[in-house]
Amino acid sequence: MANLEAKVYLMLSPRSDSPPIPPPPPDAPTPDLTVPLPSSALLLRVWLALGIQSFGGGAATLYLIRRAVVEQHKWIPDAEFARDWALCHIAPGMNLLGLTILIGRRLAGARGIALCLLGLLLPSVTITIIITALYARIRDLAVVQAALRGVIPASVGLGALMAVQLARPLLAESRSERRASLLLSGALLIGTGLAAGLTRLPVVLILCASGGISALLRWRWRVVEERTTPR
Amino acid sequence: MNLPVLFFLMLKASLFSTSGTGNVPSLHDDLLARGWATERQFAEALAVGQVSPGPSGLWVISLGYLVGGMRGALLALVAIVLPPLLILPVERLYRHAQEHPAMEGFVRGMSLAVVGTFVVVLIDLLRGAGPEMSSVLIVLGSMALGATRRVPVVLTLALGALVGIIAYG
Repeated sequence: MANLEAKVYLMLSPRSDSPPIPPPPPDAPTPDLTVPLPSSALLLRVWLALGIQSFGGGAATLYLIRRAVVEQHKWIPDAEFARDWALCHIAPGMNLLGLTILIGRRLAGARGIALCLLGLLLPSVTITIIITALYARIRDLAVVQAALRGVIPASVGLGALMAVQLARPLLAESRSERRASLLLSGALLIGTGLAAGLTRLPVVLILCASGGISALLRWRWRVVEERTTPR
Repeated sequence: MNLPVLFFLMLKASLFSTSGTGNVPSLHDDLLARGWATERQFAEALAVGQVSPGPSGLWVISLGYLVGGMRGALLALVAIVLPPLLILPVERLYRHAQEHPAMEGFVRGMSLAVVGTFVVVLIDLLRGAGPEMSSVLIVLGSMALGATRRVPVVLTLALGALVGIIAYG
């Protein structure tokens, strides 16, 4: 649900759908020394609170993180937070963990990374395991199986909505560039779906191939554009 | 089931995704092919990930628990915490190669592929639940509720459960 997270963040800052990455400050990630850096205990306390409160998925978590580190404690300026968040979209794995790692490093280096991750994950992972364990005990009851036959389509619906929300800004951005760019994006979207549905190709291979094709073509177009644009 | 291999598959899926649910298609592919997880377990884990606090990417921990017990859950935790650490070199690289069209193009191409392959997973999940007319109606209903952005996810799933109990219970 990365897109929902991005959406909430974008609601807070008036920007287009795909977060553009602001230029890095000259000496990042040197922390702003005008604000006193937090002690280990405070850092852990703040992130434990985030981990406990963030019911409602990634969007709620992102909102709470921003409120805590930018607004309440003023540890990180808004622009730096926006840049960190944008960078997390191109790094592997969960964006919110990447964000937590970057913020933790700004605040207290390696110690900060460990404390912030611990604080965010300890409560939320524990609760996830407890819910799963409780569920595993009742999953064979007839009423649970009946309920699940309603829950599965409901979560498929939410997933489909997420797919639409993820694809829309990507396609809109492509449309604003050139016709071939939109065609490429549409072809990659449909082509990867067909490849996953009809062939036995590993998904990771499909992801990398799509990224590679897109990288090469867009790089090529940029080079051609720069050549043909009069100076 | 081989736990080190399970860990490796989870790590790989997380490594080649750029969001919390971007690892669904790859894991779905690998675990179903080996018979280590069922369509139903994926659906259950994804629903738990929506309901529990924190990032929805924690769904993998629920899946780990369902297929491998406590050890599976803890392996899943390590598998999703390690890849985001690569943000540190990415941040450094970015300061050198920002705005390079190939970098931007790669991310966009991969994001599109995540959506394309995710749709296939959704179709498989729905097929596992029985592709009746009522399922399709629930899909459309939950999309509509989600699109309003006003209805909490937990409530949408609870309504789905209620409809399931009434229709099939």
